[in-house]
Amino acid sequence: MQEALTTHSSVSAPVPPRAGAGLKSQHYQTIIDQQPDIGWFEVHPENYMGKGGPPLRYLERIRRDYPLSLHSVGTSLGSYLPLDQNHLKNLKQLVDRFEPGLVSEHLSWSHGYEWYTHDLMPLVYTEETLQLIVDHINQVQETLQRQILIENPSSYLQFKKSEIPEQIFYVEAAKRSGAGLLLDINNVFVSCRNHGWSIEEYLDAVPAELVGEIHLAGHSIQDLEGQSLRIDDHGSTVCPEVWELYRNYVEAYGAAPTLIEWDSNIPQFTELYREVRFAEAYLQSAHECIRDVIS
Amino acid sequence: MPKRIYKARMNVSVMSLADLQRSFCDALRSPNAPPDTLLDELLDDGLALQRFNVYRNNFIVLNGDALSEMYPVIKRLVGDSAFRLLASAYVRKYPPMERALLVYGKDFPEFLASIPELSTLHYLKDVARLEYAWTVAYHAEDVERLEEHQITALPAEHFELLHLRPHPSMYLLHSEYPVYRIWEVNQSEDSEEVISLDDGPTHLVIIRPGARVETRVVSIGAFTLLQKLGSGETIGDAYIAATRIDPVFNLERFFAQHLFDGTFCSLTEN
Repeated sequence: MQEALTTHSSVSAPVPPRAGAGLKSQHYQTIIDQQPDIGWFEVHPENYMGKGGPPLRYLERIRRDYPLSLHSVGTSLGSYLPLDQNHLKNLKQLVDRFEPGLVSEHLSWSHGYEWYTHDLMPLVYTEETLQLIVDHINQVQETLQRQILIENPSSYLQFKKSEIPEQIFYVEAAKRSGAGLLLDINNVFVSCRNHGWSIEEYLDAVPAELVGEIHLAGHSIQDLEGQSLRIDDHGSTVCPEVWELYRNYVEAYGAAPTLIEWDSNIPQFTELYREVRFAEAYLQSAHECIRDVIS
Repeated sequence: MPKRIYKARMNVSVMSLADLQRSFCDALRSPNAPPDTLLDELLDDGLALQRFNVYRNNFIVLNGDALSEMYPVIKRLVGDSAFRLLASAYVRKYPPMERALLVYGKDFPEFLASIPELSTLHYLKDVARLEYAWTVAYHAEDVERLEEHQITALPAEHFELLHLRPHPSMYLLHSEYPVYRIWEVNQSEDSEEVISLDDGPTHLVIIRPGARVETRVVSIGAFTLLQKLGSGETIGDAYIAATRIDPVFNLERFFAQHLFDGTFCSLTEN
């Protein structure tokens, strides 16, 4: 079954190993008018689960010109509650309609009662949660009839009960379910700094051959009684340390589709585009490095 | 002297995953500090409470932002800081019930009406209903509008027995106050216009027959006709109801303007 799923992703427009951007409604018209040179776009499918209306029309229009990735925020893979079949059905409909090159979801939960937090809540890293997540990923992949990527979270607290290091849990969840990895380098930086983990150890544990997509975003810093906490708010440019980690990563392992996420304090399109071009430049030099090694 | 004394905590966690997630959710919603039973589950570097509060703050702020996108005019009318307080209270009382935040805030009009401090601003609830209806119409199903050839295929002599179905995005709003004018002048930040509350009442049709949401002020006759047609009555019965309440209502003129402008999506015999 897992073999079949991983080979199933024969989509009409695969996401290329280039830089892409999170698609925001504020930029729809600029993108349609200017047709910027961007490798692909990514959206949260939950923002397109209305019955109809302009957002779906804009997405259809933009999808004609660019490959697409669906990055879900509402599946709640880590909840003790069963997955919402209605949400999965809506997700499947969007996958069928827009034929995304990639589909991804977070290692987190957002559903503890009949209501939703709409923010990504932290997991307890135990064998019990791992089994639960793997079951849920399998259900999603079976419903969508394709492989999904799972993303490492950013977090601000840890549970005493956790017994598995996050990076091991993350990789193991993918290996057991046949999912791929969405490596969010900003999240690695934020979580490692917030918890005093080693960034190097974290990244070394992630097998590059499982990484199907990379995320980059900006974060902010909050002072907690003299200790700084990094807040993953996607509201600014990518910080220099994260760019450095990214450059080292693509130089070491080669290019992968890379997304610039910018979800709050949404800038003018030109500013977002500049970040995308930065990532594209690093990807190009990674291509050149690899060519040099081969020749 | 230490600034604060931290309670010694047991280094064992006792909650099941389900209890832990439910307790986490309860604490996100509560304006009070999380219970010790939850804090006991967190790795404590002396900042466990503050770390938890990042999640609680994000929960309130992110959902409050969704509410402010839904209700920009209410935000302008009550001011940013009052809106922020109202939004926090609303998010706690009515957390999102949907996976998508496209139309979060269904209960906000009633919620506003229940706040004693706002009780003199009677019109707020209806302005909020208008804003909610606008976003619902924005995301409503796309349906083809009624075309002329669909009419000619039907027997003309029994026109009054036919059913004319309004576009599914249509929402009818009646208010004792001039809510359309209030909503309209508050579309921009810098409007100085003063509206008299005696300029009401208003009958409004909020509808999205194509790409744009339209907000139309209509006569009480047209309003009644659309209401009756929407509930499945025949054209003849709807017309009788409309003229009973509005003797000068002119059906011919109404149809000349609206029959094929996207207000309706089908005309059928049953």
